[in-house]
Amino acid sequence: MLCLETTDLCHRYSAGEAVLHDIALAVPHASIYGFLGPNGAGKTTTLRLLLGLIRKQRGTISIFGRHLDEHRVEILRQVGSLIETPSLYEHLTAAENLALLQRIHRVPAARIAEVLERVGLAATRDKRAGQFSLGMKQRLGIAAAMLHRPALLILDEPTNGLDPNGIIEMRDLLIALNREEGTTVLVSSHLLAEVERLVSHVGIVHRGRLLFQGTLDALRRESQSAAHVSLHTADDGHALRLLADAGVPARCGSAGLVLPAMPPPHIAAINRRLVEQGVEVYAIGAQGGDLESIFMNLIGSRAA
Amino acid sequence: MNSVFVDAFRCEWLKRRRSLGAWLVAVGAFFTPAIITVVRLIRHATLPQLYADPLFWTLHWRNAWESMAIFFVPMAAILATSLVVQIEVRNNAWKQVHALPLHTATIFFAKFAVILLMLAQFFVLFVLGIYLSALLPALLVGGVAFPPAPPLRVFLADTALYYLDCLPIVAAQYLLSLRFNNFLVPIGIGFLAWIAALSALSWQYANLVPYAYTMLDFLKDNPDARRAVVSSGMHALAAAWSVLFVAAGYVGFATKAQKG
Repeated sequence: MLCLETTDLCHRYSAGEAVLHDIALAVPHASIYGFLGPNGAGKTTTLRLLLGLIRKQRGTISIFGRHLDEHRVEILRQVGSLIETPSLYEHLTAAENLALLQRIHRVPAARIAEVLERVGLAATRDKRAGQFSLGMKQRLGIAAAMLHRPALLILDEPTNGLDPNGIIEMRDLLIALNREEGTTVLVSSHLLAEVERLVSHVGIVHRGRLLFQGTLDALRRESQSAAHVSLHTADDGHALRLLADAGVPARCGSAGLVLPAMPPPHIAAINRRLVEQGVEVYAIGAQGGDLESIFMNLIGSRAA
Repeated sequence: MNSVFVDAFRCEWLKRRRSLGAWLVAVGAFFTPAIITVVRLIRHATLPQLYADPLFWTLHWRNAWESMAIFFVPMAAILATSLVVQIEVRNNAWKQVHALPLHTATIFFAKFAVILLMLAQFFVLFVLGIYLSALLPALLVGGVAFPPAPPLRVFLADTALYYLDCLPIVAAQYLLSLRFNNFLVPIGIGFLAWIAALSALSWQYANLVPYAYTMLDFLKDNPDARRAVVSSGMHALAAAWSVLFVAAGYVGFATKAQKG
């Protein structure tokens, strides 16, 4: 069952080039969906459209099975969001910033202390947000987004400004929210490695087009098929002939020779054979078997 | 009143806490009464005669309103409105406001209601300041008769009309502040509009200028003022301009392509 679904979502800023082309997101209920893409890929524009912050030009947006156009207010009651930098009133304290939202969402006042505790800001509840570091502001932004126990959290690069420890804490918090409260989390990032241990589903967007969408396991399977061995020698032509004689299908790549993926002992054997035949091996190793490589491969080749 | 609107209003009211707009209301309202008090204490020799005048309150009231109606009320309306809207812009918070489960009309009118209440607060504090500026010199300077009870009903009626007179400025400034993110644009336009209104006071159609009503209201009882004849429908015109600007502001706000 889908929590959020878009079809044919397109957007163009005034008189400019289209920034989104037929985006069809399918975010399953109770999933953690990583919305990935390099800077300028269209992630924030998509998330802004999902919240109604930009007027939709084409396509449909459906959240909790209802169209955003017709049920915007009812939908937003169950959505928490953090888009780009946190929206905090710097002249107000952390607790006052949350009190504003507590009134609108009509949650008990005790919930303020609860979420501050959860994001590690309990000790600074009476400190003005203007005196917060970027990381603390980000945490307060997350606290604001989760104050009313939303069924869907939409977070745009929530780890911006966080130190490595903060990133781990944020990841644990989102996983806990997902597992304990069944919250669906849609989180954008430009770094796959950052969300790799967090997400269950992935959507990869580049230049406004959705290049991949599916489970993280499906992406991993794709990454396996893209794995290869790269070889860089003093004489690639000679090496290519020796490999052909040995029955290893190799080809010339942009930075040396490219061989099919193989187990480490086979790589060692090829290295040994080349050295024995007088070929100087500068570098040899497995490449492209990790998610980051498939991500880079996707945005580098499919969008071209 | 809709309970969602009340919650939105309370939320907006909390936002102005410790803000520049809130300080402006408190300090601005007491500025003229404080000046009057200081001047009277300096010129204390003239006080016995002034306080013995049977028209003491009328003179005192006009004296206090002179700078307010001409300068401070239009300036307070321009600045307070722009500052309240600027809270969202400066904190990059419009996107959060628009992502709340509130209708656009609730967001628009809750903020406008806060501005109106702040301005009402400004007027009430000013009237209190006028009262204190009459009492303090009498208490501090010996030989000065204590003023009689003020004609409160007249003062309140006058104040209410001045409040109505400044609503077109508030509504126009609200429209401009929502339209332009740069704080200087609405303030600059507001200031120019005030100068234009000041220049138009002697024009026969001065009562059509939306920024002129507080000035015209003050000058209407002053036979020496360089002003044109003011129609009796001045307050109705002020109300009409206000409604027009609020409606235009709402249409602009609701149809914005990018919210925050």
